[in-house]
Amino acid sequence: MDNCNPIPYLACPDCDALFTLPEIPEGDRAICPRCRAHLYTNRAGFVSHSSALVLAAAFFFLLANVFPLLTMRADYRESDMRLIGSVTGLEQQGFPVLAGMVATFVIGAPTIVIGALLYVLIPLMRGRRLPWARHLCRVMYEARRWTMVEVFLLGILVSLLKLGKLATLTLGISFWAFIGFILCLASAVTIIDPAQLWRKIEEAQP
Amino acid sequence: MTFDPTTAAARGFTRCHSCGRVETAAARHCPVCESPLHLRKPASLERTVAFTLGAGLLYFPANLLPVLRIESSIKGEQVNTILSGVIQFWQDGDYPVALIIFTASVVIPLIKVLAIVALCFAVRSGRSPAAMTRLYRMTEYIGRWSMVDVFVVAILVGVVQLGSVLRIEPGGGAFAFAGVVVLTMLAAHSFDPRLIWDAAAANGRTHRVDSNAETLGARSADTSASHA
Repeated sequence: MDNCNPIPYLACPDCDALFTLPEIPEGDRAICPRCRAHLYTNRAGFVSHSSALVLAAAFFFLLANVFPLLTMRADYRESDMRLIGSVTGLEQQGFPVLAGMVATFVIGAPTIVIGALLYVLIPLMRGRRLPWARHLCRVMYEARRWTMVEVFLLGILVSLLKLGKLATLTLGISFWAFIGFILCLASAVTIIDPAQLWRKIEEAQP
Repeated sequence: MTFDPTTAAARGFTRCHSCGRVETAAARHCPVCESPLHLRKPASLERTVAFTLGAGLLYFPANLLPVLRIESSIKGEQVNTILSGVIQFWQDGDYPVALIIFTASVVIPLIKVLAIVALCFAVRSGRSPAAMTRLYRMTEYIGRWSMVDVFVVAILVGVVQLGSVLRIEPGGGAFAFAGVVVLTMLAAHSFDPRLIWDAAAANGRTHRVDSNAETLGARSADTSASHA
């Protein structure tokens, strides 16, 4: 192991079994033989791959926020809703806390995840680490737990049917951007193995 | 407290909750990410039970209060609770949507609360720790999907502007329901599955790695970690 980690052990997050760090071929996963928890995946070059995906996700997310998400047509009227509309609507109807929750799950948490990942990953491509990178990485994993963009996507689809008989809803550019965003972010997060990311951050030059 | 001899805790090591670094148990803070270090999640069982009780209490207003009120010139007024929304999709013939909403809003919260209760009992008995750990991982994963009904309310309220032929108002049920989802997520997150393995070891139900590593590690692309 590298000199940054004098303790050559790995502990299972779910059952606390202690292991020596196994050497595994690239692309393989190490799993806990006792409880089958995922320990880590050896993926060389994950930093540049995931950076590209996170950049794409950031771009899609920007589009998803700028363009209309849904257009409603009822009785010769037409109105557009953007992503933020799902927050402001609740707020105007007297549910500020619920509006805040939706804002956190759909806009706030994803923004933190993307921002923190870019801040950590892009300098890592050159083996560098910016100040507070380790704190932001922690915040990123916390924010990821509260990111519910894929659930929101299901919500959009259900909404289409719910209003289907009373008004016509059409999907806007933002919807497609939102799908692109979800796919890019999900694949970025999948190829980033937490154990490997932390090791890279620790090895990087401050 | 006694630990299974194969665990990090028994060897005097602690694993950082946030970055996974293994450090000697004497250390207070993780040298990598500076999180406070604990052998097990602090007050895990107490917090899990408290969040679950809170979720259980909120479950009633979440299902009894309306989540959405739709007023239209065509269909008149319609007030939906979580369940009546499902029934309506069913009656309209949208069976897949009815099933999705029913699963996300009714089945998943119930399964989740039952699973957490089962996990809390498993911490006492230490029975079948491997199966319970799988249950824990599933509980952590499925919880978020219950939020779909809340998002539907948010989207409909947002898209239907005032002064349109339609009027849509959110109801208190949506708020309570969001509370249930958040509380069950917090409950699952506070739970520490290692406590089940500790209990299993204390009750002599240890599942040693050596005995079953062969069979468990036999999946194609996987490489089982060698034991320390």
